[in-house]
Amino acid sequence: MTGRKLSRRLSFGALFVPVVAWMCYLFLLLPSTIVFPISFGNTKEMEFPPSEWSLDLYRQFFNDSAWWGAMTQSLFIATVTTVFTAVLSVPAVYALQRARLPMSSALTHFTMGPLLVPVIVLALGLYLQWAPWGGLDRNLTLVLSHTMLATPFMMISVGASLRHVDPALENAALIMGASKVRIFFRVVLPQLKSGIAAGSLFAFLISLDEVIVAYFVTGPETETLPVKMYSAIRWEVSPVIAAVSTLLTVVSMALAVALMMLERKQRSE
Amino acid sequence: MSSGDSYLSKRAGGMLIAPLFVLLLVFFVYPLLLTVWQSVYENGFTTRPYEELLTSTLFAKVLRTTFDISFTATMVSLFVGYPVALHLSRQPPGRRVFYLMLVMLPFWTSILVKSFALTVLLGHAGIVNQILGYLSGDTLHVTMVFNRFGAIVGMINYLLPFMILSILGSLLAQDPNLARAAQVMGAGAFRIFRKITLPLSMPGVIGGVIINFTLSIGMYITPALLGGRKDMMVANLVDFYTRQTLDWPLAAAIAVVLLVISGVLVALLGRVRGGSGTMGAMA
Repeated sequence: MTGRKLSRRLSFGALFVPVVAWMCYLFLLLPSTIVFPISFGNTKEMEFPPSEWSLDLYRQFFNDSAWWGAMTQSLFIATVTTVFTAVLSVPAVYALQRARLPMSSALTHFTMGPLLVPVIVLALGLYLQWAPWGGLDRNLTLVLSHTMLATPFMMISVGASLRHVDPALENAALIMGASKVRIFFRVVLPQLKSGIAAGSLFAFLISLDEVIVAYFVTGPETETLPVKMYSAIRWEVSPVIAAVSTLLTVVSMALAVALMMLERKQRSE
Repeated sequence: MSSGDSYLSKRAGGMLIAPLFVLLLVFFVYPLLLTVWQSVYENGFTTRPYEELLTSTLFAKVLRTTFDISFTATMVSLFVGYPVALHLSRQPPGRRVFYLMLVMLPFWTSILVKSFALTVLLGHAGIVNQILGYLSGDTLHVTMVFNRFGAIVGMINYLLPFMILSILGSLLAQDPNLARAAQVMGAGAFRIFRKITLPLSMPGVIGGVIINFTLSIGMYITPALLGGRKDMMVANLVDFYTRQTLDWPLAAAIAVVLLVISGVLVALLGRVRGGSGTMGAMA
């Protein structure tokens, strides 16, 4: 290979990669950022860039109790889901790593199951399960379904955290006469704080953004924001969706940034 | 800690794990079993739903559409995602965190928001058509949403982060000294890429392809919002039979087919990367 050929190839390679990468970053970012300017447009049509700027779409959103109600419903469901997921998963992780259960590795894999099955299959299964029992359109059904979906993420986050906790501390506490309950709450739990926080952010985000299962198991009484948005985008396409999208994106991005900062902190610890 | 000195007895451990397992049995295992049951039992055992699927031209068409769209979306994600992963792998760690943020922020944005934004961006009056119209003197307008193109663009937008993270993982795992040694021995940049970087990144590539394809064939929201009415995918067909025609056994049979296909793909993924690979890419 001559020097000239080499340098040409090098410069092609050196340019090709960043150009494709930047175009890709733009392609990834554009959809989630374009809703911001659109949401400050007028109520008659969606435009980018908007011809006149206003807060009309936000006024419309907050004055419409159907939208407003769906938002509070989603925040409520996501909050309860997060608490349920943490309360069920943290003791399970602790038992799987400390109790020497038979087949603990198979059991751990089993808790990852919801991650590996297409959501539409789970949505249909839950629908078939609850429809004959009058269990659809119930907050409890939705919360427990979302808890199931969020479990793998909580298990991964808390599991990673617990793996860094030295069992010698727990043994020391045991020798000093602490009860097992006290060891769990005073020695183990404080050290899992960042893992539980990360898992909780995952659980909250998953529940807040989840559409398919919610679309199958909710009804008029329990409709969440994503379900209402899904029908709105499909059937009416009103510009108010831009305001809803912006609000949802702000929440998602704030949580995602918090999550990334937590992960960095965990890694440096 | 050895098994002898564990202070948590098996019984205590079992009690701690039991509530989660009850939840997973009721809300995960039972719905799956029920779906399989519904597909083979209507007042007695039957193969009616599966026979109907085998002879249904609609199902054949939807299955072909699903595979076509999934294959295209996966391949485009691979060819776009690889250079991006390469770009990320070549950054110093501090800057890589920043670029990764550009990938991860959209990843955590609701798929509804992204699909909605793409209908606006690619729509008749969207920016892409505005630019095309401006460049062509108002003669060129391309329909890019509510057809197959729209569905594929939306899916690529969703899938790219999974592909990028999978490939990035195996690029970062490479020993940089290999490339350095090759360079000292006089290999050019392209040769180093072709002979060292690319072959060593194959596990990430294969893993990314399987993850993307598995996610693609089960996709529901993006094809429903960005795709054409004729480009129904398998997941949309499940919804159609559940809610429109109320043929639950048929819907269940389609779900079982989807479950089997993605089960095979997940097993394949497990063989390529070991059990933890799947989760690493998701988290």
